[in-house]
Amino acid sequence: MLKIRFHGRGGQGVKTSSRILGRAAFLDGFIAQDSPIYGAERRGAPVVSFTRISSTPITERGFIFDPDIVIVMDETLLNDWLARPLEGIKKGGAVFVNALSEFPPPEGHDDKLFITYDLTGRALEILGKPIISSPAAAAAAKITGLITKSSILEATAEELAELDLKDELVEKNIQLAAEVYDAISTPVINTQESGSITSEVSPLDYEPVSYEEVIHLDIVNLGNSALRRTGNWRIFKPIVDPQKCTGCLVCVVYCPDSCITLDENNKAVIDYDNCKGCMICLRECPLRAIYSVREVRVYA
Amino acid sequence: MRDIKVMAGNVAAVEMMRVEMLTGNVAAAWAARLADVDYIPAYPITPQTEIIETLAKWIGEGVMKAKLVQLESEHSMLTAAGTASLTGARVFTATSSQGLFYGFEMLYNISGWRAPLVLVNVSRGVAAPVTLEPDHNDVLAARDSGFLQFHAETCQDVLDLILLAYRVSEDRRVRLPSIVNMDGFYLSFTREPVNLPSQETVKDFLPPYTPTLPFRASRPVVKGASVLGGHIYTYFKHNIHESMRRAVEVFDEAARRYAELTGRLHKPVEGFCLEDAEYVLVMSNSFTTMGKRAVLKLRERGVPAGLVKIVMYRPFPSTQLVELLKNRRAVAVLDQNISLGMGGIIYQEVAGALYHQRNRPEILMSVIGGLGGKYISPEEFEYIFNALQHPEGREPNTPLFLFRKDELESVKKALGLAGLGGEMG
Repeated sequence: MLKIRFHGRGGQGVKTSSRILGRAAFLDGFIAQDSPIYGAERRGAPVVSFTRISSTPITERGFIFDPDIVIVMDETLLNDWLARPLEGIKKGGAVFVNALSEFPPPEGHDDKLFITYDLTGRALEILGKPIISSPAAAAAAKITGLITKSSILEATAEELAELDLKDELVEKNIQLAAEVYDAISTPVINTQESGSITSEVSPLDYEPVSYEEVIHLDIVNLGNSALRRTGNWRIFKPIVDPQKCTGCLVCVVYCPDSCITLDENNKAVIDYDNCKGCMICLRECPLRAIYSVREVRVYA
Repeated sequence: MRDIKVMAGNVAAVEMMRVEMLTGNVAAAWAARLADVDYIPAYPITPQTEIIETLAKWIGEGVMKAKLVQLESEHSMLTAAGTASLTGARVFTATSSQGLFYGFEMLYNISGWRAPLVLVNVSRGVAAPVTLEPDHNDVLAARDSGFLQFHAETCQDVLDLILLAYRVSEDRRVRLPSIVNMDGFYLSFTREPVNLPSQETVKDFLPPYTPTLPFRASRPVVKGASVLGGHIYTYFKHNIHESMRRAVEVFDEAARRYAELTGRLHKPVEGFCLEDAEYVLVMSNSFTTMGKRAVLKLRERGVPAGLVKIVMYRPFPSTQLVELLKNRRAVAVLDQNISLGMGGIIYQEVAGALYHQRNRPEILMSVIGGLGGKYISPEEFEYIFNALQHPEGREPNTPLFLFRKDELESVKKALGLAGLGGEMG
């Protein structure tokens, strides 16, 4: 069985990507299983999805802890302490990263093969949107070495049609998927089934009646949402042009996360630790003083 | 009202033992009044409404100090009840049947929040068909919700069990809400003599409720946070289960103290005529009185019959129950409820409790009776004991559905009136 784990951000097409791959495997005669996992759904928040491909019945469900292949759909996730996309990958496994340029394997991951391709850049050019469900699925399909090109393209068409995409956009996605499938070469993946990946069993005991007090499901450490920085949710980064900014406060008022203030020169300043990159400021600025650049933070 | 005043030389020894004719509903109201509750969110539903009417009247007259608010539904009522309890208020509320179901999702929240309020459920069969009369499918639906459950046989039990419920619920080793159940009509609207303990006695028995991390202005606290991943969820469910288990012993402690003060000892499970009993009927709630009468009649004829009444339904007192049922020849569990497609709910739980008992009864029979308040006649009780003595040919897991010929005639007549054949069809 091959286990593929997709890491991306809400809005990138993470779930659809795992579904395109799952359907393609199904079309190629394999037994497939695909599923997503996410909390409260938010654009930009880390999302994970999974595809299992096997020639025998699949006896697992849920989270893939020990993937053979990991698809990182946003390179800024590589150092996200919650997403931890590289965790548990089997020795000899492959990691695909949607990134502008190649980089050496991060420390501790020399035993894995890293493949990069700028999916977002190509998606922006061909689709005009940073949605990469089909090219990420195509990349995964090629890396597995199991999925035929015709199946991945057919699966792309079927999955996107189910999402009510216009024919023209489906066609562009197929074009993009084909390009990525052809551009990436299949690596040699030689992973071994790992043993137990969780710690030892320790059933919960019962406290005696003499126990003083029950444990309440309460949170008293308040203000802890400040610990959760949301700055790495961005796919695009808004930048203020100080030459044009007049300090009119429109962006300050419209920012849903109160991330914009004015500095001593009356110019808008964005708190990049918490800005989620929603781009409302860019749309609302009456002087077009805010522009955007693609968010890239190469793994350090 | 009949006051029995024991006059003595000093004022302190003047203990007033009031015995009054009270309905189960008014007995419940009295319990809330004696417990000195602070807040009563309410919503009317037959056969429970008399409880809140009585409390509203007392508050209006100024003889009771509490805040009673009528909400727009039972869902809001239970939400208000749980959150108020977390501020440190002692909360009382009451509902029945459809009302309990309408507020159902809040039950699990209230126990998860560890809000130790007391909810009286006046049992009423659940629609459809619509009825106002009692069976226990309403209260038993809440059995897994993290509420302690106490089931009353008499109007006196209603009062006593509410006071006991407050003490056990508020105990820091338990900190879980309680449901006290009484049967609609058979208790709710039935008057019988009830001993009212004095306010001082109840004050002595019931210490003030001291909440843990209560809601306070300028000191926010999050209760019942969302926890993804399953392990924290599991941990806290186990935590509640653990508190439930402790509640059996905490109840016994409280009951012993209550007996010292009032002379009435309540147990999680009560035996009746169990000495040398070979044929035992397990049941609960108000119909138990009639079951006891049947046992006495059989005893007169030399049949070694006995009865076990389940008072505490959650936590389920398996150990105590098994102790009373082991070595019996044959046991019948009378369920005034039905899990459709399975059978009696309590039968399954009794069977589970007995499984590991080496000396378990050879025969364990399931009986369904009293659905929608259907009367159980002396002949029907006798039928059960006859079946226990002659179990041959009976499939024990298939419940015996109590019914009578005259009732069958009546059903046929009703079908005719409805235009569905029968006598007038």
